[in-house]
Amino acid sequence: MSKEEKKPFSQTMAEWRQFVYNPRSGEFLGRTAKSWGLILLFYLVFYGFLAALFTFTMWVMLQTLSGDIPKYRDRIRSPGLMISPKPVTALEFYFNKSDSQSYAEYVSTLKQFLKSYDDSKQSKNIACTAGKLFEQNEDRAIKQACQFNRTKLGSCSGVEDDTFGYAKGTPCVLVKMNRIIGLKPEGEPHIECLPKEEGKVQITYFPDGGMIDLMYFPYYGKKLHADYLQPLVAVQLAIISNRTKEEVTIECKIMGSPNLKNEDDRDKFLGRISFKIQMSE
Amino acid sequence: MESLSPMFGPDLNFPRGLTSARAAEILARDGPNALTPPKSTPEIIKFLKQMVGGFSILLWVGALLCWIAFGIQVAQGVASAFDNLYLGVVLALVVILTGIFAYYQEAKSTNIMASFSKMIPQQALVIRDGEKREVSAEQLVVGDMVEIKGGDRIPADIRLIFAQGCKVDNSSLTGESEPQSRSCDFTHENPLETKNIAFYSTTCLEGTATGMVINTGDQTIIGRIASLASGVGNEKTPIAIEIEHFVHIVAGVAVSIGVLFFIIAVSMKYKVLDSIIFLIGIIVANVPEGLLATVTVSLSLTAKRMAKKNCLVKNLEAVETLGSTSIICSDKTGTLTQNRMTVAHLWFDDQIYSADTSEEQTTQSFDQSSQSWAALSKVVTLCNRAEFKPGQENVPIMKRVVVGDASETALLKFAEVILGDVMGIRKRNRKLAEIPFNSTNKFQLSIHETEDPNDKRFLMVMKGAPERILERCSTIMINGEEQPLDRERAEAFQTAYMELGGLGERVLGFCHLYLPEDEFPDTYPFDTDSMNFPTSNLCFVGLLSMIDPPRSTVPDAVSKCRSAGIKVIMVTGDHPITAKAIAKSVGIISANSETVEDIAKRLNVPVEQVNKEDARAAVINGMELKDMTTEQLDEILINHSEIVFARTSPQQKLIIVEGCQRQDAVVAVTGDGVNDSPALKKADIGIAMGIAGSDAAKNAADMILLDDNFASIVTGVEEGRLIFDNLKKTIAYTLTKNIAELCPFLIYIIASVPLPIGTITILFIDLGTDIIPSVALAYEKAESDIMNRRPRHKKKDRLVNEQLAVYSYLQIGIIQSIGAFLAYFTVYAEQGWLPNTLLGLRVNWEDDYYNDIEDSYGQEWTRYQRTYLQWTGYTAFFVSITIQQVADLIIRKTRRNSIFQQGLLRNKVIWVGIVSQIAIALILSYGLGSVTALNFTPLRVQYWFVAMPYAILIWVYDEIRKLFIRQYPGSWWDKNMYY
Repeated sequence: MSKEEKKPFSQTMAEWRQFVYNPRSGEFLGRTAKSWGLILLFYLVFYGFLAALFTFTMWVMLQTLSGDIPKYRDRIRSPGLMISPKPVTALEFYFNKSDSQSYAEYVSTLKQFLKSYDDSKQSKNIACTAGKLFEQNEDRAIKQACQFNRTKLGSCSGVEDDTFGYAKGTPCVLVKMNRIIGLKPEGEPHIECLPKEEGKVQITYFPDGGMIDLMYFPYYGKKLHADYLQPLVAVQLAIISNRTKEEVTIECKIMGSPNLKNEDDRDKFLGRISFKIQMSE
Repeated sequence: MESLSPMFGPDLNFPRGLTSARAAEILARDGPNALTPPKSTPEIIKFLKQMVGGFSILLWVGALLCWIAFGIQVAQGVASAFDNLYLGVVLALVVILTGIFAYYQEAKSTNIMASFSKMIPQQALVIRDGEKREVSAEQLVVGDMVEIKGGDRIPADIRLIFAQGCKVDNSSLTGESEPQSRSCDFTHENPLETKNIAFYSTTCLEGTATGMVINTGDQTIIGRIASLASGVGNEKTPIAIEIEHFVHIVAGVAVSIGVLFFIIAVSMKYKVLDSIIFLIGIIVANVPEGLLATVTVSLSLTAKRMAKKNCLVKNLEAVETLGSTSIICSDKTGTLTQNRMTVAHLWFDDQIYSADTSEEQTTQSFDQSSQSWAALSKVVTLCNRAEFKPGQENVPIMKRVVVGDASETALLKFAEVILGDVMGIRKRNRKLAEIPFNSTNKFQLSIHETEDPNDKRFLMVMKGAPERILERCSTIMINGEEQPLDRERAEAFQTAYMELGGLGERVLGFCHLYLPEDEFPDTYPFDTDSMNFPTSNLCFVGLLSMIDPPRSTVPDAVSKCRSAGIKVIMVTGDHPITAKAIAKSVGIISANSETVEDIAKRLNVPVEQVNKEDARAAVINGMELKDMTTEQLDEILINHSEIVFARTSPQQKLIIVEGCQRQDAVVAVTGDGVNDSPALKKADIGIAMGIAGSDAAKNAADMILLDDNFASIVTGVEEGRLIFDNLKKTIAYTLTKNIAELCPFLIYIIASVPLPIGTITILFIDLGTDIIPSVALAYEKAESDIMNRRPRHKKKDRLVNEQLAVYSYLQIGIIQSIGAFLAYFTVYAEQGWLPNTLLGLRVNWEDDYYNDIEDSYGQEWTRYQRTYLQWTGYTAFFVSITIQQVADLIIRKTRRNSIFQQGLLRNKVIWVGIVSQIAIALILSYGLGSVTALNFTPLRVQYWFVAMPYAILIWVYDEIRKLFIRQYPGSWWDKNMYY
């Protein structure tokens, strides 16, 4: 093997140009036009076939699914908790009670959120027996939904106070439990919120005791249960006035139900949620 | 001489030698008398080289990017930042571990060599302080007086001051195969030619001598040549070039796709940090992390297999070099031949008989009924001084050790095979007088009593150079009758002599005479000095010719080389006629080829008028070679397909090797002598002889032939070609799934779906499930007779060619990706996330504070629930790739033949591979599914079968591909689809 001699740059360039387009053989990038045509045609057919096959297998797979409920629900055995409004960054509320701009976002989110709970929207819904699971007959194509009136949220309903207490320094936060099809809570589930440090805030629950009524369960899925409204618990926080300007961490948990978990090591939102709130004047 | 005299003391005949003190002084000045081993790269450098070679750089970059991303994320307080730290550590570990593995493999093969160089310390008999003592040869210094005797290895360069019948074997130094006599006479200016110097590392065959050390260690002639050899640079092996080429392709693809998608990601308004993380994923997906280790293992498996077939490979990569060899420059003696004289032909009764020259002869089948043969056999038996060493009765005759020179040994064994108990015959025919062979007489003679008790005549037997013997004869024995030696008979003798000589054989004439009883009675005092007996008018009995015959396996091996497109060139120090005869008998020059000289002779024209292109064969004399320009040599190498270089010095071997390499050939060179080491180093693959080879040759070589047999080279070539084919399969297998690992990232970036497969999971495929299967392909048998095709062209037949890359990446790889995506979409859909919901979901999906994302059915998911589902997706994707890799493994068993032609069950290791692959996947999913860091989850049984249709498609499609390739050779399909 002779030592590889360094080719001069011009030669390398010429070779490249030759490779890109070779006028003698009419080759473009190493293939003639006909050759390119053939190879492109081949891949057109090949990928066309694969695309068709993929579509077909996907179609077959989707045919095995029901449109009403997913095949498996084992990845969501227990619901997570979430709050509304949800601050843009993390779960931290910052507002000034005298500056309406600082909480406008929260207020409009709440208004938007509660629109579907307006009485006008609930005409189709029925009044159910409180304290009992509302199981409906299998062969009913459209499942009925139970009424949840905004009035149940008391001073957080936005009916009397359209700033949801933000202007008064008693902000409302709605706590809701994630929807899971077929979930039937046991016992008497209710939301319980605790500030990290005692005595900083006073917490009022709507409805009373943060109760979540069993009549709103089970959920039958978006398609069958189109009018379903998930039960809400409003938490009104009255921050002790000399404690303003301090950050308060509040943790809410679902309690009183043996089949709703709230102590998972990895999932910090399973049956619980914690958020921070800081109010200035 | 004067300066030396003090050391000899008052009497020159009783040298006193150096004093111990003086010796110690010189030793301190010159250093020990040993060759400095060739400079080796420090271990740490070798180790570091493994850390940065191949894909390592790319992975280091990946690891570095991981750590940078980690740093930024930590500063931003991102919860998942530590994932990047771990990934970086894992990548670094992968590089370090594969580096350590490669280093270990290399060290292991180097250790094989170390065992070779470890030799029992040589002792030398030295005179110091006026007395003889044994010291280790390393302790010798210039000026020491040493004594040597037959069988000793010369401990340093020595100038002889006393010699008696001393003969040395200089073959390892000068290539002369004949023993050289040594005396105290200064005969030549050139130290290599003069008779009064014996060289370090040569052996003293017989006689004794005393001499003074003139050079030690690296200063010796051998030492100088050895240092010359280390000056010849080691060329990169073809497989190293191929692997480099392949690494370039893969790294090129990885970097360009990585950069392309980095740009796409940035222009799609992804954050730069996210884009960096994508880049890492793309690099990891593209780089076949386990492949280089797999290649090393495959090569070392082949090396082991070759060692069993007597080819010991020092440098793993040389395994494949042998397979791509296109020219073998072979020694004659010992490699092509048996390295022992054997009787090949006989001439008596006016007729030539051939003898069996195979290694394991037990009988001779020529006509032995003639009385002339009886007489001839008697002469052969009696006029011979060679003897078997005692105690070898049970050893086959051909393997017995004999005391005596090569021709006499040949005659002794020949007689023993036919007559049996030669020693007994000699005893019964007592020897009375003898004149041993000498160069002036050119004959050997002895006088015996006969074993016939009634015959009181003495028998005088004589052998020697045929023409000298004939001069002394007046009669010739024909069919047991003495006939007058007239002109006609003499001409018949001449013809036979010429014919045998033309075969390159050493011819000896035999004659005898029964001394008349009346003139030479019982008590006649024979005197060999005055020669008081007749030495003329004898009766000529016959001729015997001897040759060092080819090994019986060689002709077959040479014809195999020929059909494998490998040119075999013989390079020998022997006489052209002998060389040509052996070349013809082993097929290096085929039966119907002619040299220029042959044509000239046939056409009866001068050599110059012959068209050189008509001659296929050429026999080049070393003297001619000396005067040739490189162009002339090139012309010979191109124009003649059958070449023999005779009377060449080992130095000329280097010139021949370089000439071959100028033709772009991959050259294998065999050699045993120290002087061969530059050529061995220069060659693409140097092959040293395990038995006859010197240490220097073994050091310079890439491979050691344990049985010195040419045929072993051919089996080595076969293994080398097989491993090249199988490495192709391994690489094709490994590259395929890279696309299935890469597509998820591309789709993830473009369609913003939840990530289908994680970086760690990819590493589990590359370094877990795929490792054993890809090694298993090294055990695949050849698809067709690989020895019937031409050696691969170094520059055209690449290990990884366009077809291989395109077929693996753009066809099978894409099918695999689609199959795996089907599994991915199935898992998500069955859990409530229909494909259309997934598109564009990425940002919300990965938002740690978005814990109520709604799926297609109205359910809401927390971040962790989604992550767990994502891991299930990883596992399903992983399992699908694994299942489809099983199909990929099966199709890669062959490149052209149908799997059913090859046999599904013939390679059991493939099945071990498949079982291991599935077992590892099962363990990862069900056994380690609960270990969070690994991102695996226990998978529903049916998900293992989702990609099955695509696995079957891969198999069926590949069978169709192979069918078309077989059906339409040379077609567009064949050109584009055969890799």
